[in-house]
Amino acid sequence: MPQAAGDMRAGVVPSAPPAHRAPAALAGDHGVWLFITADVFAFAFFFLLFTWGRVGNPAVYEQSRHSLDAGIGLLNTLVLLTSSWFMVLAVEAAREGSRPRTVRNLSLAMSVGSGFAVSKVVEYTGKIQAGITMLTNEFFMYYFVFTGIHFIHFLIGMVVLAVCLHKARTQALDARYRVWIESSGCYWHMVDMLWIILFPLLYLQR
Amino acid sequence: MMTVAREFTYWRFCAWMGPAFMAVFIVFWGIMGHNIPPWNPDLPDSIIAGWFRSQASIIRTGMVVAMTCAVFYAVWGLAIGRVMSRIVPRDSILIDLQVWGAGLTVVPVLVSTSFWLAGAYRPEALPDSILQLLYDWAWLLIDLAYSVTSLQLFALGVACLHDQRSKPLIPKWLAWYGIWVGFMFIAECLMPFFKLGAFARDGILNFWIEFLIWFFWCPTLTLYVLKAINRIEREEVK
Repeated sequence: MPQAAGDMRAGVVPSAPPAHRAPAALAGDHGVWLFITADVFAFAFFFLLFTWGRVGNPAVYEQSRHSLDAGIGLLNTLVLLTSSWFMVLAVEAAREGSRPRTVRNLSLAMSVGSGFAVSKVVEYTGKIQAGITMLTNEFFMYYFVFTGIHFIHFLIGMVVLAVCLHKARTQALDARYRVWIESSGCYWHMVDMLWIILFPLLYLQR
Repeated sequence: MMTVAREFTYWRFCAWMGPAFMAVFIVFWGIMGHNIPPWNPDLPDSIIAGWFRSQASIIRTGMVVAMTCAVFYAVWGLAIGRVMSRIVPRDSILIDLQVWGAGLTVVPVLVSTSFWLAGAYRPEALPDSILQLLYDWAWLLIDLAYSVTSLQLFALGVACLHDQRSKPLIPKWLAWYGIWVGFMFIAECLMPFFKLGAFARDGILNFWIEFLIWFFWCPTLTLYVLKAINRIEREEVK
């Protein structure tokens, strides 16, 4: 909730806005945002392909969707969101120059995030053991390819977080490090966001 | 003794080899070789064989020119390497990785074009299935060798991100874009598994998107490399 709205409900008269407000700035390295934007557009294109395929063959998509466990999908969502929350705390700690909190929150972000890898391996193994592969039908082609590409993003994110953690342990938490951790945080949130769209698209859409 | 100014002229010449490679690639490999877009992999072998037999001279001409000019890509990579040497230390392994990536990209281009050329050499004497195999083989090689080009893109991108100038020689957005393109090439791994759809060799993702993002990167990078050479020349030739 915006701060001003919260103050109004509590019966507090909001103070006048400051005369000079710092210009809004993108977190992290600006170039990372180009990477993120390009990646989001690529996934948007994937989602369009999937929707196009679903419109052309709704029965196969609907029947195939029932083979997916929405509970695991929801668990994955919660895991990634929790991991992202720890990442936010790590970025805040780094901005405040607190090394112990930065290290602790980055470690928690990685530990919780690794649950996503376990869950995906269990899910993929179950499907393959049931004879379902990306060659089964168009739905599963998209399912394996899109979640697989997302999983590669996740693995890269874990490596990036590991680098952030190593730097937090061994280097000064200076402006240069803040750019590092903010850029990594932006990427990690993108991994979340893509999953938040993938989950309903693949598991829930009727 | 060679003057420094002349050296920069050679750099510029080498930098223009990127767009030159692209132009040759589009006309001789792409249009004359029926590779933009490629034949759908689900077509019967008689269609591919019929095309090899009826268009043999055009294919031969296209592939001969494409093979001759494949080396342009390596020359372009060397020009990029020279600009990189003003961004990172001259003995940086990132320069070597970029140059090797560009040089190795020539290999799958050369070898795959030789397969198409082999198909067009005596197509009347070869069975349909062999001609189809040559066409498939060439495409499998040219697509699945993506990692050497990704190596070039990653090394260049990382090096450019190290540029400490207030106005970098190569813009950081282009460095990130290149890293993203190199990453997107991973989707080529899907190509051998599909004969229809977005991930087939003529699919919207594995052909159109993948080639278009590279086609944007190559001339855009050349433009900035040429600007960077002018700037380096102004700074170094007093």
